[in-house]
Amino acid sequence: MSLLSKIRETVLCLKAGRVTLPYPAEPRPVPPRFRGRPIFDAAKCIGCAGCANNCPAREILVHDVCQELRIIQYLGRRCTFCGRCADVCPEKAVTMSHDFETATNAIADLSQRLELFMSTCQRCGRCFPEPSPLERLKLKGYRFDDVASERWIFHSKGYLDAESTVADIRIDLD
Amino acid sequence: MIKQLCRKMFRKSLWVYHANSGGCNGCDIEVLNVLTPYYDAERFGIKLVGSPRHADVMLCQGPAMRPTAAALRRAYEAMPEPKLVFAIGSCACGGGIWHDSYNVLGPVEKVIPVNYYIPGCPPRPEAILYGVALALGLVEKKMCPVTLQRRRLPIPRYHPESLVGTGIEIVYKDAEKV
Amino acid sequence: MAAREKLGFLRQRFGSAIVRADLTSDRRLYVFVEPRSVKEVCRALFRELDARYVITIGADDRPWSGCFMVAHNFAFDRDRLLVSVMCLLPADSPRIESISDVVPAANWAEREMRDLVGIEAVGHPYPKRLVLPDGWPDGLHPLRKDVEWDEAPDCDDSGTGYDFDDPPEGCTVVPFGPFHPTLDEPAHFRLYVEGEIVRGCEYRGFMVHRGIEKLAESVLGYNDIPIMAERICGICGCVHNVAYAQSVEEAVALRPPPRAEYIRTIMLELERLHSHLLWVGLACHIVGFDTLFMQAFRVREPVMWIAEKISGNRKTYGLCVIGGVRWDITPELSDELKTVLDKLESEWHSVARAVKNDRNIQRRTRGVGVADAKVVKEMGLIGPVARAAGVDIDCRRDHPYAAYDRVGFRVITAQSADVWGRLVVRTDEVFESIGIIRQCLARLEPGPIQTPIKEDLPAGRFGLSSVEAPRGESHHFVITGENNRPRRWRVRAPTYQNLQGVPSMIRDAQLADMTIALGSIDPCFSCTDRIEAVDVRYGSVKVWTPRELREMAKRPQSGRDIKDS
Repeated sequence: MSLLSKIRETVLCLKAGRVTLPYPAEPRPVPPRFRGRPIFDAAKCIGCAGCANNCPAREILVHDVCQELRIIQYLGRRCTFCGRCADVCPEKAVTMSHDFETATNAIADLSQRLELFMSTCQRCGRCFPEPSPLERLKLKGYRFDDVASERWIFHSKGYLDAESTVADIRIDLD
Repeated sequence: MIKQLCRKMFRKSLWVYHANSGGCNGCDIEVLNVLTPYYDAERFGIKLVGSPRHADVMLCQGPAMRPTAAALRRAYEAMPEPKLVFAIGSCACGGGIWHDSYNVLGPVEKVIPVNYYIPGCPPRPEAILYGVALALGLVEKKMCPVTLQRRRLPIPRYHPESLVGTGIEIVYKDAEKV
Repeated sequence: MAAREKLGFLRQRFGSAIVRADLTSDRRLYVFVEPRSVKEVCRALFRELDARYVITIGADDRPWSGCFMVAHNFAFDRDRLLVSVMCLLPADSPRIESISDVVPAANWAEREMRDLVGIEAVGHPYPKRLVLPDGWPDGLHPLRKDVEWDEAPDCDDSGTGYDFDDPPEGCTVVPFGPFHPTLDEPAHFRLYVEGEIVRGCEYRGFMVHRGIEKLAESVLGYNDIPIMAERICGICGCVHNVAYAQSVEEAVALRPPPRAEYIRTIMLELERLHSHLLWVGLACHIVGFDTLFMQAFRVREPVMWIAEKISGNRKTYGLCVIGGVRWDITPELSDELKTVLDKLESEWHSVARAVKNDRNIQRRTRGVGVADAKVVKEMGLIGPVARAAGVDIDCRRDHPYAAYDRVGFRVITAQSADVWGRLVVRTDEVFESIGIIRQCLARLEPGPIQTPIKEDLPAGRFGLSSVEAPRGESHHFVITGENNRPRRWRVRAPTYQNLQGVPSMIRDAQLADMTIALGSIDPCFSCTDRIEAVDVRYGSVKVWTPRELREMAKRPQSGRDIKDS
């Protein structure tokens, strides 16, 4: 009884033959829906920080240098490749590429840094609040990180305060 | 000279010790998959051993947690030179989703020095094989940091030349360039 | 109907002690009782009405109601009912009578409640620290609302050791962990061994405690939590994803569209397939049979590939959002899935036949790790462990969710209550899963995959969800909250209950059987390879290599009958 089952198992193995894939000698294509490394496109990005607000690993960090300059940094270290940033982006600036060959010996190799020019309202100089709940969520900054350990302070509000931005401009219209 | 010979021969057959210091086991199972018929790491000479004292490479998975940090450190120190440490998965590379939780110390590199990082959640077996091949010198590294700048500074505000006029001249006094 | 009956019984018995009762549907009952009668209510439910104990949850509700809250959850499997017995405790003295002497399965849950929330269970038989690490100061309870999620006290853990119990008379101690050489979560079992017979064991685990529930309350939003829930366990991740989404949807009375429910069912069954195939391979590896280990993994690989094609990742699919699923299954993928399933079924028939007729495996697994129906009831064991003991429970049939009320399947049980029974149950469940996926694919109707959410989700609602993971029942409890995140989220993974049954499984058994007994509950960590035996009396240390252990395991055990299956 036992011998018969051993013979069956041997036949099972022999029938399968050799199945080892010749990777890495030959490339292995990935299916079209594969979620690899996200790639951020600075040309399309409008700096809304929706990706930063919706990243479960809090991997995308936002820093406002001044009102016009926003730095969005994707560290790449603890990204879970979930694709929420690509889902939420209104401009489709984030694409989940098919890159999985991301091994490296220096972890800073994975970071992508976008330095963006943020335009402001031409009349009052402020960023304006968004009407719908999803948009409001995107601008609400409930992620707080600290500066000491390479993390940025994210202060995003619906709009900036009036006094600090327009005090230096006097517009005279004839 | 012996040292050079050792260094050359080091990569021929690596014995691997797997240490899971607090992860979800997703990467564990992918490492197990790497040993199975389709991906077969054994053709590179890689063998899984049960003790850090027999190992050349330590595969770390999972973030460094408070209870296991000391054990991880001891396992690292038990490995004889020359040794390599691989951090597999996003938890080991950067701390994972829970990098700032109360029980998690952070990525594995806070406790032991890491030589190679294989990000992914979990990384595909092909990605792990790629990392191993990178360490063995069979392939080239493909990643580098990227900075994309789309800023124009100094920014002229309300510059009259870029406004298409309606014929009415608008004068801005004391407009400052920032 | 059943909910009203139970409520009527409780009202009749306890009258004034019941403060409030909420019947959100015919299948959920929330009863608020006064703290002094909680133990009697639980005793009535557990012993007289024969409920199954699920979990005890402690919550800090002080910012909203000014009280701490304790919930004891029970399940009535025949009546398709989940009951939650809740009580509110005053904020300055959160103490409640422990129910662990009437319900032995509540042991760990009450210790965890004390560690994390600070609610003291008075009269607990074994009030030792369970979850938090050794050097953690007393009095700092992470799940309280006044403690930040990243507040980690600076104290140094290296000086403090865990205070283990003394072993019983005449026993040596065999430590088992915390770093296992192969593929493990760190966990520490201390076995008290007399010769080669195990007399008792003590478990020190929770080294993988990552503070998930705290993160969910503080930092993440409703739609971010499924991504984190998937990574609670790498193998049964989809289950937690779906269970969380379902509990929130139940709390806010939102129903995902039918197509989304079918897709959820398909992915859950795909996950069950890959998990059971993995377990059979690992079990064979543990008993020393590497051929079948490799073959089971070879057969399993196409399942991972098709999952990657459908979802984008081999596991941790990223499936759910509140109100639906994130991606759809196209007709081409559906056809490909059917081809993969056909091939899998034919290959698995041959592997299953080879395993079931293999005498060597039977000799290693029959009579090992026995957990009979009485232990199953007392310790609240679930999943294949319970089904192998003849207890007919399965959440897919008893508390239907997603599309399980629209497909037909058999619940596999065995009568032998040992590791062999669990092997047979899991092997046969693979065929049932394949059948379920085929039925779902046939019934998929075109339609939307997400229910649109027009306004903010209401706060303060309760949601319960029980989902059948490959290892047993996975139970989630959610209280919705403000600011786009829940107030409290409790995850009860099946291994939590099953691990409490391990000491009774390995008592009076051979030492070498410990690994397969532990592996048979399919813990979310696989079994160890190497044991260090410390003989306390002589101070000698003998280290056994994996080969030696396997040789020891392969020696025929005396006194064990071999019956043909």
